[in-house]
Amino acid sequence: MRLGINALIALCLGLIPMIGGAGQKPLTVTDDLGHSFPISSPPRKIVSLSPNVTEILFSLGLGGAILGVTRFCDYPSEALSKEKIGGVVDPSLEKIQALHPDLVIAFQGNPLRVLDRLKDLGVSVFTLREGRRVEEVFQTIEKIGRVTWTSEKAADLVAALGAGLSRTQGALRKAGPNPRVFLSLHGSGLWTCGHESFLNDLLDQAGAVNIAGGVARNWILMGRESFIQQDPEAIVILAKSGADFIQGREWFQNEPVFKKVAALRSGRIYHLDENAASRFGPRLIAMTEHLARLLHPEAFERQP
Amino acid sequence: MSLKSKRGFLLLGLAGLFAAGFLLSMVSGQVRTSPAAFVDFLLGNDQSLRTIFWEIRLPRAILAFLIGACLSLAGAILQGYFQNPMADPFVVGVSSGASLGAVLCLVLGLQASLAGFSTQSLFAFLSGYGIVLLVYALSLKKGFFKVETLLLTGVAAGALASSLTSFFLFLRTDSYEQAVFWLLGSFQLASWKQAGAVAPYLFICLAISQWLAKDMNLLSLGDETAQSLGCPVPRVRKIFLATATLLAAVSVSVSGVIGFVGLVVPHWIRILIGPDHRFLFAFSTLTGGVFLVFCDLIARTILSSAELPIGIITAAVGAPFFIYLLHRKKG
Repeated sequence: MRLGINALIALCLGLIPMIGGAGQKPLTVTDDLGHSFPISSPPRKIVSLSPNVTEILFSLGLGGAILGVTRFCDYPSEALSKEKIGGVVDPSLEKIQALHPDLVIAFQGNPLRVLDRLKDLGVSVFTLREGRRVEEVFQTIEKIGRVTWTSEKAADLVAALGAGLSRTQGALRKAGPNPRVFLSLHGSGLWTCGHESFLNDLLDQAGAVNIAGGVARNWILMGRESFIQQDPEAIVILAKSGADFIQGREWFQNEPVFKKVAALRSGRIYHLDENAASRFGPRLIAMTEHLARLLHPEAFERQP
Repeated sequence: MSLKSKRGFLLLGLAGLFAAGFLLSMVSGQVRTSPAAFVDFLLGNDQSLRTIFWEIRLPRAILAFLIGACLSLAGAILQGYFQNPMADPFVVGVSSGASLGAVLCLVLGLQASLAGFSTQSLFAFLSGYGIVLLVYALSLKKGFFKVETLLLTGVAAGALASSLTSFFLFLRTDSYEQAVFWLLGSFQLASWKQAGAVAPYLFICLAISQWLAKDMNLLSLGDETAQSLGCPVPRVRKIFLATATLLAAVSVSVSGVIGFVGLVVPHWIRILIGPDHRFLFAFSTLTGGVFLVFCDLIARTILSSAELPIGIITAAVGAPFFIYLLHRKKG
C-alpha cells in the first residue's frame, strides 16, 4: 500500500515534464517544505548540510559530485577530505557560495533562516525532514535519488535495505519476549528518546520496548525515580567510541541507587554506535539488526 | 588639549578606523580572497566573487555597523536617563523580552517570513517592546513613577522572561542549538534587506536624541532643577525611554542579543570627550558602529572552521579596553 502511494506521488510530483523542453526531459521535484524544483540536468556540484544526507549521497554513488559537507560529516571516510562548509546550525554562506553548487541538500536541524538566506542568494536548496519511523528513511533516500537523477540506484538501495529490515523481522519471530530497554543518549545522565523519535521505532523494530516510549516527545531527561520504577531489563548506550561507552556504563554502575535495577544486576548493557544510529540515513537498518542480535542472540543462532 | 580638539582627533581616528574596518571586512572571511581580487571586483574586471563581496560581506559589515550604533546610542540614552553607569540597552528587560519572543517562535515552530521580516524577528520585536510597556505601566503610581521603581521592575520582568525562555528551551531540547545562536547574537544572515530595515530606525532615533540632547544635559542636574530650567521633564523622559527601547528591540530582533557594546561604548566616549550629551550621543553612535564591525570581523575569522557568536567577542575585546581607560583616567 505504502509503495503504491509512493509511486503515485512520484508520478504526480516527480515527473511533470515541462512543455516545450528541447531534447532532454526536465524534472520537477518537490521537497519536504513543498517547494518544487525544476531540474533540467543531473546536479554535478552538490553541497550537503547534514551528515545523514552526506551518507545517503555517498551510498547513491554520488561521492564524486559532492563539493562540500559539514564539519560533522565523517562517514564514509571519503567525506573527511571534502571541503567543510561549517556546521549544521552555522553553515558558512560564503563558503557555500564560493563552491557555486547547483544543488544544496538541507535537512531538519538546519535553521530555516539560514536556508531562506541561501535561497535569497540564488542557491537551490532541497530540504528534507526527519521521519518518526525507521522505514521513512526509504522515502528520504528516494527523494534524494529523484533530485539527483539517481532514482534507479535509490530504488536498488531501498530494496536492499528493506530486505535487511524484513530479515531482522523474520528472525525476531523466533525470539523470546521483548525486554524493557532504556536508551541512553549521551552515555551519562538519563537523556533518552520518546515516542516521536525514530530511535523509539528503531528499538521497536529491534525487538525492544522503550521504557520512555509512552512520552509524546522527541528527547526526554528521565528522572532517576521513574528509571528505577520502570526497572529496564537492558540499557543501550549510544556512544561514539568504545571508551565513551565504557565511561557511560561506569556512570550507571557507579550510581548506588541503580544497584537493584534489572539491567545492572544482569549486566545487560550494550553499545550502539552513536553516529550510525542517530543519523537518519541508510546505516539505521544495520543498526536495527545489530541491536536485535544483541538483545535476542537466540533468534539469530541458526542463521546461515 | 581642549575638548574641541579632542573631539576633532576622535572624529579623525573614527573615520580612519571606519575605513579600515570596512576594507578588512571586505577582504577577509571564511573563503580566502586576496585584496587583488577585491580590487579586480571594484574595477569591474572579475565578477566571479560578486556574491561574496556584494551580497554577503558588504551588507554584513553595514549591518554590524548599524546594530553597534543602535545599541551604543540606546546605552548612552539609558545611562543618562537612569543617571546610572550600569544601565545598558537591555536594562528594562528588552533583551529578555525579545529573546523570549524569538525562542517562543522556535518552540512553536512558527518559522515563516512576512514582508521580508522573519516571524522570529517580528515576535522578538513585539515581545521586547511589549515587556517594556508592561514594566512602564507597572511602575506608574497615580500617573507618576520613580526612576528607581522602573529600573527594579525592569530587572524583575527581565528575570521572569529569562526563566520562561529557559523553560521553553527545556521543553523543546531540539531547538536548543539554534536558540543559543539567537541568544548570543550573530550577523551570519545579514542581508541588504536587514540593513535597509534597521537604518531608518537608527537615523530617526539619532535625530530625536540630538534634538533633545540639551534636555538630557539638564536632567543630570536632577528632575526638579531641570523642570525649573524649562525642561518638560515627564515628556522628555517618555520620549527617551521609547527611543531607547525601539533601538534595542530592533537590534535584538535582527541579530540576537549582543551584550556589552551598549554598556561600554558610552563610557569610553565619556572618558574621552566628557559628558555633554550633544556630542556623547553622536560619538557613541559612531564608535559603537565601528567597534561592532571589528568585533564581527574577529568573530567570523578567528576560527577557520566555524563562526563564533559575536557576544563572546564584544565582551572579550571590550572589557580589557574599558578597564585600561578607567585606569588611565584615574592615573
